[in-house]
Amino acid sequence: MPGSNLISLSLIILFLPLIGFITVLLFGKRFSKLYNLEIGILATNLILTIFVMFQKLMYFPEKIANRFTWINFGNVPFVGELKVELGIELTNVTVLMLFVVNLISFLVHVYSTKYMEGDIRFSRYYSYLGIFTFSMLGIVLADNFLMMYIFWELVGLSSYLLIGFWYEKDSAADAGKKAFLTNRIGDMGMWLGILILFTNYHTFTFDIIFEAINAGNIPFADNGWLTAAGILIFMGAIGKSAQFPLHVWLPDAMEGPTPVSALIHAATMVAAGVYMIVKVFAIFTADALLVIAVIGALTSFISATIALTQNDIKKVLAYSTVSQLGYMVMAVGVGAYHYAFFHLVTHAFFKALLFLGSGSVIYAMHHEQDMRKMGGLKKKMPITYYTFLIATLAISGVPFFSGFLSKDGILAGTYAFGSLTGHWLIPVLGFLVAGMTAFYMFRLVLMTFHGEPRDHHKYDHAHESPWAMTIPLITLAVLSFWITYTPNPVSSDAGWFLNKIENQSTVVPQDTRFEFMQTEDVPNEENHNNHTEQAVIHSEHYMHAMHEAHYPAMILSLVLASLGILFAFVVYYWNKVSADKMANAVPFLYKFSLNKWFFDEFYHSTFIRGTIETSKGLSVFDGKVIDGAVNGSATITRGFSKISGLFDQYVVDGLVNLTAFKIGFFGFIFKKTQTGRVQNYILLAILSLIVLFIIFLPFF
Amino acid sequence: MDLSYFITSLTTIQPELMVSATLLVVLVFDLIFKQKKTFIPYIALAGLVATFFFLINQFGISQTAFITSAEKQYGIFSLDPFGTFFKFIIVVSSFLVILMSISSSEIKNVNSRSGEYYTLIFGMILGMMFLASANDLILIYISLELLSLSSYVLAGFLKKERRPSEAAMKYLLFGAISSAIMLFGMSLFYGLFATTNLNVIASLGSVSGMETITLTISTIFIFAGIGYKISSVPFHFWTPDVYEGAPIPITAYLSVASKSAGFALLVRFVRVGFTNTTLENGFWILLEGFDWQLFLTIIAIATMTIGNLIALWQDNLKRMLAYSSIAHAGYLIAALVAFNNESLLAILVYFVFYLLMNFGAFYVVMVVKNKHNTEDINDYDGFGTTSPFLAVVMSFFLFSLAGVPPFAGFIGKLYIFIALVDAKLLVLAIIALLNSTVSVYYYMRVLKHMFLTKKTDNSKTVEVDLFDKVVLLALAIPTLVLGLYFSGVVNLAQNSINILGF
Repeated sequence: MPGSNLISLSLIILFLPLIGFITVLLFGKRFSKLYNLEIGILATNLILTIFVMFQKLMYFPEKIANRFTWINFGNVPFVGELKVELGIELTNVTVLMLFVVNLISFLVHVYSTKYMEGDIRFSRYYSYLGIFTFSMLGIVLADNFLMMYIFWELVGLSSYLLIGFWYEKDSAADAGKKAFLTNRIGDMGMWLGILILFTNYHTFTFDIIFEAINAGNIPFADNGWLTAAGILIFMGAIGKSAQFPLHVWLPDAMEGPTPVSALIHAATMVAAGVYMIVKVFAIFTADALLVIAVIGALTSFISATIALTQNDIKKVLAYSTVSQLGYMVMAVGVGAYHYAFFHLVTHAFFKALLFLGSGSVIYAMHHEQDMRKMGGLKKKMPITYYTFLIATLAISGVPFFSGFLSKDGILAGTYAFGSLTGHWLIPVLGFLVAGMTAFYMFRLVLMTFHGEPRDHHKYDHAHESPWAMTIPLITLAVLSFWITYTPNPVSSDAGWFLNKIENQSTVVPQDTRFEFMQTEDVPNEENHNNHTEQAVIHSEHYMHAMHEAHYPAMILSLVLASLGILFAFVVYYWNKVSADKMANAVPFLYKFSLNKWFFDEFYHSTFIRGTIETSKGLSVFDGKVIDGAVNGSATITRGFSKISGLFDQYVVDGLVNLTAFKIGFFGFIFKKTQTGRVQNYILLAILSLIVLFIIFLPFF
Repeated sequence: MDLSYFITSLTTIQPELMVSATLLVVLVFDLIFKQKKTFIPYIALAGLVATFFFLINQFGISQTAFITSAEKQYGIFSLDPFGTFFKFIIVVSSFLVILMSISSSEIKNVNSRSGEYYTLIFGMILGMMFLASANDLILIYISLELLSLSSYVLAGFLKKERRPSEAAMKYLLFGAISSAIMLFGMSLFYGLFATTNLNVIASLGSVSGMETITLTISTIFIFAGIGYKISSVPFHFWTPDVYEGAPIPITAYLSVASKSAGFALLVRFVRVGFTNTTLENGFWILLEGFDWQLFLTIIAIATMTIGNLIALWQDNLKRMLAYSSIAHAGYLIAALVAFNNESLLAILVYFVFYLLMNFGAFYVVMVVKNKHNTEDINDYDGFGTTSPFLAVVMSFFLFSLAGVPPFAGFIGKLYIFIALVDAKLLVLAIIALLNSTVSVYYYMRVLKHMFLTKKTDNSKTVEVDLFDKVVLLALAIPTLVLGLYFSGVVNLAQNSINILGF
């Protein structure tokens, strides 16, 4: 099977959900069973994706790409060659991501048949899922910035629609708006970054841009611009992957239906930012990478501390998502993009599982989300409990589960980074987060499933969810075991997954790279460009450091995770220490965490209030100063206005009207030639012929 | 010319033969079946599909045929991608016009004569297809007459009403005069060159010092015939009256297919008969003796300006579209003035889009006329609320005709402006731009009536049946999609700018 067939298949995969969206949106009201079409489409998509993935991984080690010219103006005067190309490319990373998106989307579709049952906008919900899947697949398949940006905005739109799906609730409508506006800030930066590249290279295609940079062609011939472009493009990821300081929208986005949170705000869309920076890793300079690593580390730390004290089950998961996304971003920043992508995939499965499991709990508890009212659900909902536990073990970094492998890789990467560059803050934050994650996840499990039921009325009515909801849980639980990715439960280095991820090569000039990313044999002036195309991961220094970091990092992270779990048991299972007492011991820190570091309040009192106050101030200024000045000058103006009024009336209006009148008048005159009499027509034609002769014959 | 050569030459006119065969079949069936004739249009459609496949087979082939004497290099018929492209336009628009005729109540009312109707349409097709490939003054004249004679009858096909009969009469008289002038011009040409072959004319013109006066007179005379077909000023006078009087399908047909055949003739006449050499960068060097550039500039400016200005005053939509089609002819002539390969590209691209949007607009007018027997703009009041589907597709077509992005018409205009600016004809480009600004007024006026005028008690409702809906969507969707993705059309046109002999 030739590679072009895979391209055609992936086009089908891309466009099927769009067809589902249009059909269900238009006819969903009339045919209430039409949502099954959308599910069927996703099932087809999943089968096709699995086929494409196996073909690609087995038989096509090289990248398959196909571009077509969208707009070709050829040689436009004053501008030169103007051509916009779109295209899709299939790499191993792409097809793995395709699989993740399609699988989780399919499971969420199945899950929602029960979870959303009886909703008045049931088929609307499915059509939105369709447009989301379409847009997400577009991001995954894009081989250029333009197409990625278009689909980037489309996922933003579908996220907005789904967060505000229950728009009767003010909080849902507000959360939708907040998500959309916050994302705009990041997207604006991303677009500016893309424009810097487009202005210089006249193309949006990744490969062509990479080659140009590799050939020593730097934007505006200045390395600063290259760094700026990288950071600006990373801003898109800050918005979409909810990184500090734009992370505030994601916890609020939990106002949407829980399956949507699982699909969009845990597994796929929020990971798009990480996917994007993995994809364009090649253009980041050392400065840009350091920014990325710091932002990622800060994000994961801040949100982990917030997650410690939250009581809403979905809020804990939301902050944990932000924290894990920070991990991935940090991993890209320290150059361990293999593990960033690996963690993206493992996290997608276990976090989707956690959200769907929490959805199952919320469903059973009649839409109760407060963990303080839960407890003891283990007996009532065994399938939900055990699958949830598996996911918790995975996210906490316990061996034999997927999360351990990917987190361990990331931590080793930060450790190596710290030892190579001296930026120790990043690994320190990374390890602290590992401990906290284990604590708050077990706190969640213990509060929800163990102990005595706290709300007996709701507890008595609770029961295990129907199979349409449990089957997706079981599927995802299977994917959270180590064996899916590698046979060795403590190291993924030999596993198939990591080996299939292509080595990214950085293309930026040598002097803008981290020392450990520089090519070993520093080339002389002539062959300056020949040696730059070398994979980062192959840098001897780096490999060595990674190798050395592996065991210390693993042991340290295991110790920290065990401590976290142990502490959770001490507080919430054996009740040796009262949580309230602890909170009272450090009231300031507790409040700080409970109130999410006061980010919302801070933004409200600075940016939002600032905007409002500025506009108020301007209005006062307007009222007092400007109006006063206006009133003062009114008398003078009135005198002038009379004169200019006359001028306007007779001269300007006259000219405008004259023009309009002239055009109309000529039309009228020409219309007069259309007498309706054929003899007049012929006469006029002959007369015009004679006029033409007069013009063209030399002797007239 | 020996028989075997004649037979090999016949293979180059397979599509034309297919059209002739369909014509005969329709005629015979019309004679056999006296009563039920509803199936005849479907035979016609089948014939067109077959013709289309023959055309696909021919696409890309450049070959001359029917060489009349041994020493000549080129025959009277040129098979080349350029001609085939126009034949595609002709066949597709014929297909659409037959669909329109099936739906049109005007044609349904004279169902007993439908055999005659479709026979005549095939007469027109045959004439147009030969016109697109004619490389000889004699063949040009004959196919032009075949086209004209069939269209005279079709314009007056509703013979019981006054307006169509009057229109046909005017069309015939004006057409007769124009073709007489043209024929006179051709005879002068023969006097000058002693040949009727365009290639030979070009080769003679480049060597000998010419009778400039005779050449000028005869060229302008010949242009009279062409100008009448493409309804350029000053040979446009028949257009509004005939367009208003003829049945709507025929009006749409005349405004697209007949015009495209006329343009194929004009381009070939200039390109083959008057071009000396083609430069590396795609610019053509024309023969001295007649200043085509100045001549066509005058004609183009006059055509678009007069067409647009009179259109401002029309309340009858069909008549308004007639003037708008005159204006569009003006833009197309302006594109030719650049005299380079890009102008040829612009013309071809423009015709694809023009076909979609113009047919679409006429189709909407026809649907309304079928239901309410009116073409008056005031009867379109409040359509936005009473018949949203119709109003929305109509706005697609009108936006496209006005050249508003992201519709196809914008891309068509853009290519024309690119060609003009590339040839440094800035003044002409600015005049064309101003003209298209003026045209926005009368297109938007229709939208104003449909969407902004409140519906009143006597606002009309139009139920669109499935057949019409499908055809309208088939025209409206490409009008939008080709405005967003047009590389396919441009590539097709790029492959079609080869004219035999260059």
